Amino acid sequence: MGGGVLIAAIAILHVFISHFAVGGGLWLVLTERIARRRNDHALLAAVRQHSRFFLLVTLVLGAVTGVGIWFTIGLVSPAAVSALIHAFLWGWAIEWTFFVVEIAAALVYWYGWDRLDRRAHETVGWIYFAAAWASLFVINGIVSFMLTPGSWLETGQFWDGFFNPTFWPSVAVRTALAIGQAGLLTLVTATAAPRSPDRARLVRYNAVWVLAAVAAGSLAGLWYRGAFPGWSDATLGAIPVLPVVARWLVFGVAAMGLLALWPLLLPSRWHWSGAALLVAAGLLVFGAGEWVREAGRKPFVINGYLYSTGLRLADEPALAADGALAHTRWVSPAARAAGGAALGRELYGQHCQTCHTRNGYNGLRPWLAAWDGATLRGLLPRLHHLRGRMPAWHGNADETEALALYLESLRPAAAAAIEPPERARRRAWDVSCGLCHTVVGYRPLQGALQGMAPGDLDALLDTVNEMNEAMPPYRGDAAQRARLLEFLGEIAARPAPAAAAATGGAAP
Amino acid sequence: MNGSSFVPAPDALPLPAPEPLLRFLLLLTFLLHLLAMNGLLGGTLLALWSRLRARAPDDLHGALAARIGRLLPTLFAGTITFGVAPLLFLQALYGRWFLTSSVLMGWPWLAIVPLVTLAYGGAYLESFRRGRLGRLRTPLLAAVSLLLLTVALIYTHNATLMLRPGAWAAAYFARPGGGSLNFGDPQVVPRWLHMVLGAAAVAGLLVAWWGGALRRRDPAAGAFMRAHGLTVLGAVTMANFLIGMWFLIALPRPVMLGFMGGSGHATGLLGAGLVLALALIALAMRARGRPDASLRPVTAVALLTLIVMVLMRDYVRAAALAAAGEPAAAAVRTQGLNIALFALLLVGAALTVWWMVRALARGAGD
Repeated sequence: MGGGVLIAAIAILHVFISHFAVGGGLWLVLTERIARRRNDHALLAAVRQHSRFFLLVTLVLGAVTGVGIWFTIGLVSPAAVSALIHAFLWGWAIEWTFFVVEIAAALVYWYGWDRLDRRAHETVGWIYFAAAWASLFVINGIVSFMLTPGSWLETGQFWDGFFNPTFWPSVAVRTALAIGQAGLLTLVTATAAPRSPDRARLVRYNAVWVLAAVAAGSLAGLWYRGAFPGWSDATLGAIPVLPVVARWLVFGVAAMGLLALWPLLLPSRWHWSGAALLVAAGLLVFGAGEWVREAGRKPFVINGYLYSTGLRLADEPALAADGALAHTRWVSPAARAAGGAALGRELYGQHCQTCHTRNGYNGLRPWLAAWDGATLRGLLPRLHHLRGRMPAWHGNADETEALALYLESLRPAAAAAIEPPERARRRAWDVSCGLCHTVVGYRPLQGALQGMAPGDLDALLDTVNEMNEAMPPYRGDAAQRARLLEFLGEIAARPAPAAAAATGGAAP
Repeated sequence: MNGSSFVPAPDALPLPAPEPLLRFLLLLTFLLHLLAMNGLLGGTLLALWSRLRARAPDDLHGALAARIGRLLPTLFAGTITFGVAPLLFLQALYGRWFLTSSVLMGWPWLAIVPLVTLAYGGAYLESFRRGRLGRLRTPLLAAVSLLLLTVALIYTHNATLMLRPGAWAAAYFARPGGGSLNFGDPQVVPRWLHMVLGAAAVAGLLVAWWGGALRRRDPAAGAFMRAHGLTVLGAVTMANFLIGMWFLIALPRPVMLGFMGGSGHATGLLGAGLVLALALIALAMRARGRPDASLRPVTAVALLTLIVMVLMRDYVRAAALAAAGEPAAAAVRTQGLNIALFALLLVGAALTVWWMVRALARGAGD
């Protein structure tokens, strides 16, 4: 399992709960107010019942997973923690003052049901919500900074980084999500109550919260997309995972909206199976949404400043001059002395492993299976040209050789499974041209290849590296080459691509 | 290769405040965390002790265990909330060491998250479902105690491993995937015990206060809790006096020598600590013998002792890092406006919390 997956698991759980902690606070105090005004004892009892669930979930899971994120990113990306703490120490400290109020208010609200008079209890509820939302506001400044640091990159000023280009749309999206979570999780707890007209009213009321959030969140999402750096390139294939995750996000939002129609239209039939599906849709929205945000800043953890590997952009010239090893900590003296694959393993650990596993998430073995030593050595100095956005590799000749030797040693021994011809052709493309190009989309090849004869394509493969520095020579074996030529032949035979798709703008 | 070369360079970004201010805030918020943590860890241990000694669920010990049990979730929330700020200031000042030792520990360090979640869940079960737990109540409390003691031990490992950059290379190359602990350091066990016993002593004092406040409503329980709490405070502090000696001689030699006259500051702190600890034992025993005596003197001495202990702990950290030859050199670019904003909001937060808690306390009798 890669470090990224670990962060993702804890982070998704945390954002799921922490947005509930904000919106749920608004739900509690508003619904309490409505219940008291209407003298609706059933509704007030439901609010009280829900406040216990709220206390348990937000205080236990919310607080612990929040600290858990600190622990995890400290392990996976200590350089990022250090940079964020230096840049935003007072942001975190200010957020902590809101956090203290939030936790105290949550406890006083729960223990105050019988002890506080109505006005004081509602005031505590409002204090809770204000502190929780203020906490979201501050954290949002730091999280959105990581995607769009804006003019902070030049000025280094706290507030330039805080009120960055995606700050306001992101506040809007997160506020909508928080409201949605309030309705969503009260729809979950409502399933525990016996069926009654009171329950049906509560269920319908909560459905309105979810639908309002879906509508507001979708609009805010469009605003956010407008501020997203390089959105069209990214969704055209510059970041291959992003269009996929963006589709999941849209699917999750649509599923949430459709599922919320059930409690709205048939509130008396609301059932735990619907609640479970709604939670699944909610998790999908949060998981995909945060993934979009994180994929968008690849290969940086702080866009334009710090790579995911812990290397600063500003350190690159020094690496280019001195080689990678001179700037790599934690190289064992034995490996340093031995060189070769042993040294390559250490370099891999420091420069590749943050993002890549061997077999699992972003695993390298399936790619290595398709590349011979020469291809690998041709690719390493050109990593920064690949789609998917990787930092440049700055190893000198010896270091590149060491890394290549280690990567070669990872190549699976067993022969690849027999694939259907169509998939085999696609794979031949993916492991060569597809590393940097798409057929139609980002750096599209369809237009350039159109109408080329098989002989021309064959000749082209022999001379690709003469086009420019970024292109490595093609070194696939005879079988791979034959399959790739078939694939390119199919592309060349297609009709002209639509202009819009090739120049960007529309998501595929 | 010199081990200390494994210490990362200072962050390229400047510190946003002068170091003394950050250090003051680190120590201040750590003291708050310590108070809440002592209530939680010490309270859990005291509750377990009382539950084991209770002959019936509603006798004095049984009732005390139940009273503490009800409070555990709030103590948990306080411990975590007040733990966030010192973690923040620690990373700002000592991130180069702390983050590295965290990475060397890896999974054991991350294990704190699930362990704390389980313990927190257990505390809520104890607090909310006590009546329905039946025979499981004692094992549950024992499990929560064990989880908290384990978390404390993991923290001790990290707090000491970060001070030994010379040991990092060997630890890393023995376990490149993480999993390093710091058992090779003789101070780990006494330091952990010193903290745990200190927590029990402070929890004893809190129980004594609680008992004093309870005497009007429930004279038997109040008098028992006051006397029991003071006994715990006195007896545990006596034991901790000896553990403290063990801790002292287990410190790295240059650090220990600082306490033995090498550093006037450290020697003064140690002297003050010894005097305060002896005074604490004497005052606890004295107050125990006089049921109507005020608890203010013993509390003031306990608080002073805690402050001295926090300062001594800070000295251990500074001296160990200095001995490792790593000055905490970092550029500073003070963010004055943000500091003022933080101070203002902190005061606002304190007032708001005070208002809410007062409202709750006033409503308690309704």
